[in-house]
Amino acid sequence: MANFDHQTLEYLKKLCRIECTEEESLDIEANLTRVLEYIEQLKEVNTDNTKTCRYVLRGMQRNRMREDEVKEILPREQFLANAPDQIGGMIRVPPVLKSSS
Amino acid sequence: MKPIHHLSAIELRDAFFRGELSAVQIAESFLARMKIHDPKIGAFLSTLGPRALMKAEILDKKRAHNQPLGKMAAIPVAIKDNMHIAGELTTCGSNFLKNYKAPFNATAVHLMEEEDALLIGKTNLDEFAMGSSNENSAFFPVNNPWDLKCVPGGSSGGSSAAVAARMALIATGSDTGGSIRQPASFCGVVGYKPTYGRVSRYGLVSFGSSLDQIGPFAATVADAALTMEVIGRHCEHDATSLDLPQEAYPLSPKLETDATFGVPWHFLENLSPEIRANFEHSIEVMKSLGAKIVEIDLDVLKYSIAVYYILATAEASTNLARFDGIRYGLRSQNAKTLEEIYEQSRKEGFGREVKKRIMLGTYVLSAGYQDAFYKKAQKVRTLIIDAFDNAFNKCDAVMMPVTTSGAFEHGAFQDPLQMYLQDIFTVPANLAGLPGISVPSGFDSRGMPLGVQFLGPQMCDVSLMQYAYAYEQASKHTRIPRHYE
Repeated sequence: MANFDHQTLEYLKKLCRIECTEEESLDIEANLTRVLEYIEQLKEVNTDNTKTCRYVLRGMQRNRMREDEVKEILPREQFLANAPDQIGGMIRVPPVLKSSS
Repeated sequence: MKPIHHLSAIELRDAFFRGELSAVQIAESFLARMKIHDPKIGAFLSTLGPRALMKAEILDKKRAHNQPLGKMAAIPVAIKDNMHIAGELTTCGSNFLKNYKAPFNATAVHLMEEEDALLIGKTNLDEFAMGSSNENSAFFPVNNPWDLKCVPGGSSGGSSAAVAARMALIATGSDTGGSIRQPASFCGVVGYKPTYGRVSRYGLVSFGSSLDQIGPFAATVADAALTMEVIGRHCEHDATSLDLPQEAYPLSPKLETDATFGVPWHFLENLSPEIRANFEHSIEVMKSLGAKIVEIDLDVLKYSIAVYYILATAEASTNLARFDGIRYGLRSQNAKTLEEIYEQSRKEGFGREVKKRIMLGTYVLSAGYQDAFYKKAQKVRTLIIDAFDNAFNKCDAVMMPVTTSGAFEHGAFQDPLQMYLQDIFTVPANLAGLPGISVPSGFDSRGMPLGVQFLGPQMCDVSLMQYAYAYEQASKHTRIPRHYE
């Protein structure tokens, strides 16, 4: 079922938004080919009547969510202290929309 | 009196309570040990000297004024560098977060500070906790205090090495597929992975959210139990945190009369002679305490690694999508467009193993492959959980080795798949959400430490700790490496 090749890797890089050096790409391709061959062994396990695991804990079959309330948890300045670029109390990014004119 | 660093965390705290040691004296002593020993070991990515000393002064004043002191008062604690201490760096061992300062405290960190622990440093790790040897740290590798040529294990190798060399008496780790138990075994210390959800993951940088658990490293089981009493609490910031009361961990050197331990002999058939002999010795220790040993069937665990590398990477690929160069962390200087920010920042910020795992995770979740890989793995995970359920109908806890060998040398594994396969005994507990503990069980022929592992049913953290304590008291394999005595 797995057919991992150079083209697949190029496709994955796009999906993951990750660039690699040439050397990294060769190494990752070789590695992932081996790992995928290994994980194919799961095919031999009969799971016809097995349910998909959704929650690990037997006693807990759903997450416990708290009320969705607005609270002051992280002040803006504190959050922005880690931002790579900011302007006027906001995060700055390159233009996303091109001018139509 | 013994040298300060020969005391257990509890002994040290009690000496402080009695006024035999001041908190400042304790902080200075451990900070000095870090200064002397860490240049060769590389366990710490940052030290928190001024912070620890300031806290120590406060504790000494509190004691002088007979004010109440916490359960972890004056105990030097190291924090794995993927957990937040407000105002300090959280690098995750990654260039992506080299300059990231935590804006809040992780719940586990907060709870220990409330109990007056002295936070003395942040420990080295495999980048984003992805690795079994600490060789994937973006900054520098960690060396094993028992033999600097060897790895300390991973991914919490800085924490295990810090406790082994007694630069801290307690350290936190995170365990996604063995990242607490395996380095504990490699470094001859105790490592505890709680039931999934017992410790809040709030403030821990996520890797595999259905697998991750925070837990302690310590020199003794009693010290690990003390830490669990403090950090094993419900937290509203983590939706998977167990809504159960805090637990006390009473410990006795005796086993209950009908305590039964299961050993999956068929699954363990390929153990090396050395590991087998060590493990059989541990079984004899339990028998000498009156334990009944029964054989159990856990053959399905042979698929654990395959299941793990599908699920852990799938979860990692989504969790690590947040590192996009926009809001925090590295933003590539070479990027001009929004797309280039994503691609170049991730190219420059992530190391090879992290890139590889994100790609594998994306692959197994991608259209056309999700049923064959991801859903299949979730079904086999159910079979693994069922197999443990059946086993626990016959026994109170499972015994297994922690690792397939003692600590290996740096560079020993050139093929990452071969290194993944070494985690075969630790990964199952994460897949099934079980508590597990690694306790020192002796040494291999090279003099490197080995560990034995006890796994309990979900929520049975307290009884599991008790079994480990009885084993530890009867076996007494805990040592300090010669150069750090």
